[in-house]
Amino acid sequence: MVNSEDEIIRKRQRERARVMALLLGAFVVLLFFITIAKTGMNW
Amino acid sequence: MPTLELSNPAALPADWRDFVALTKPRVMSLVVFTGLCGLLVAPVQLPLVLGFTAILCIALGAGACGALNQWYEAEIDGKMRRTAKRPLPAGRMDRQSALHFGIGLGIFSVLLMGLATNWFAAALLAASILFYVLIYTVWLKPRTAQNIVIGGAAGAFPPVIGWVAATGHVATLPLLLFAIIFLWTPPHFWALSLFVRSDYAAAGIPMLPVVAGVQSTRRHIFLYSVPMAAAAVAPWWLGLTGPVYGLCAAVLNIVFLVLAARVATNRATDPKAMEAEKHLFAYSVFYLFALFTVLVADRFLPW
Repeated sequence: MVNSEDEIIRKRQRERARVMALLLGAFVVLLFFITIAKTGMNW
Repeated sequence: MPTLELSNPAALPADWRDFVALTKPRVMSLVVFTGLCGLLVAPVQLPLVLGFTAILCIALGAGACGALNQWYEAEIDGKMRRTAKRPLPAGRMDRQSALHFGIGLGIFSVLLMGLATNWFAAALLAASILFYVLIYTVWLKPRTAQNIVIGGAAGAFPPVIGWVAATGHVATLPLLLFAIIFLWTPPHFWALSLFVRSDYAAAGIPMLPVVAGVQSTRRHIFLYSVPMAAAAVAPWWLGLTGPVYGLCAAVLNIVFLVLAARVATNRATDPKAMEAEKHLFAYSVFYLFALFTVLVADRFLPW
C-alpha cells in the first residue's frame, strides 16, 4: 500500500511539474509579446 | 481495473485538475464572456495581445474568487449534494493549498492586469475580488437573505473592467452593463435556489426561499426582472447602441418577463414540479449570453 501511495505521489508531482513548466513557458512568451505591444504603443 | 484505497487522500499532493476545478470554470466562462464584451464594445481597440491579457486576468481573478470561496465554504459545500464532490469537501485537497492558490492567483491577476493595461483596471479587478470574497462570501452569504442582491455586484464588474482596460476610464455604457448583470443575478440565482432550497436549508445558508418562503421568492423574481429589462433596453434608449440591439434586447426581455411571470404564478412546492423555475434558470443563462452577443454585433456589423 505504501509503495502504491509513493507511486501516486510521484505521478502527481511529475504531472504538476509538467503543468507548471508549461504555464511558466506560456507566461514568458506572453510577457515577451506584452513588452513588444507596449513598446509599439509608446513609439 | 482495481481501485486503490488511499489511507489519507488529503495528505497527497493534490491533482492539478483539482486546482482547475477550484477555479469554477463554468462560472468563469460567463465572467470571461461579459468581460470580453465590455472590452470589445469600448471605443478604443487594444492591441490583440493586451486585450487577450486583460481577459486572461479577468479569468484568473474569477478563478481566484472561486478558489477562495471554496476554501472558505469547504464545510458548507460538504453538506450540499450539488457541491459535496468539490476537491475540498471530497478530501482531495487540503485547505491550505486552496488558500495559497487563491491568494496567489488573485495577486498575480491584478499585477499582470496593471502591467499589461492600466492600474485603474487592475484596481477594479482587485476591488471585485475583495468584494466577492470578503463582502459576499464571508459577510453577506451566511447572514442575510439579500446576499445575492448585493453580492451580485461582484459578478457585474467584468464588463466594466474590460472597458476600463481598453479606455482607462468609466462611461455610461459599461455602467449600464454593470446594472444589467447586477439586476439579472437575483432572478437567476433565486430561480435556482427555489428548486435546490433543501440543499441551502441543510447547509444553513439563508437564501430567500429558505428565509422568506417560496411564494415570496417568486414575487421577488418578477419584481427584479422588471428593472433588469429596463436596464437592458436603456443602452438603446440613450442612443448608445443601434436599433438591432434595441429590437433584440426587447424580444429577449419580453421572453424573460413572460417566464418570470410564469414563475410568479406557479404554486408548486415540490422541486420536481418546478418546471417554470428550471426554464427561467436555463433561459437566464442564454439571455445574458445572447444580450451581450447582440451588443457586440451591433457595435461591429454594418447594419
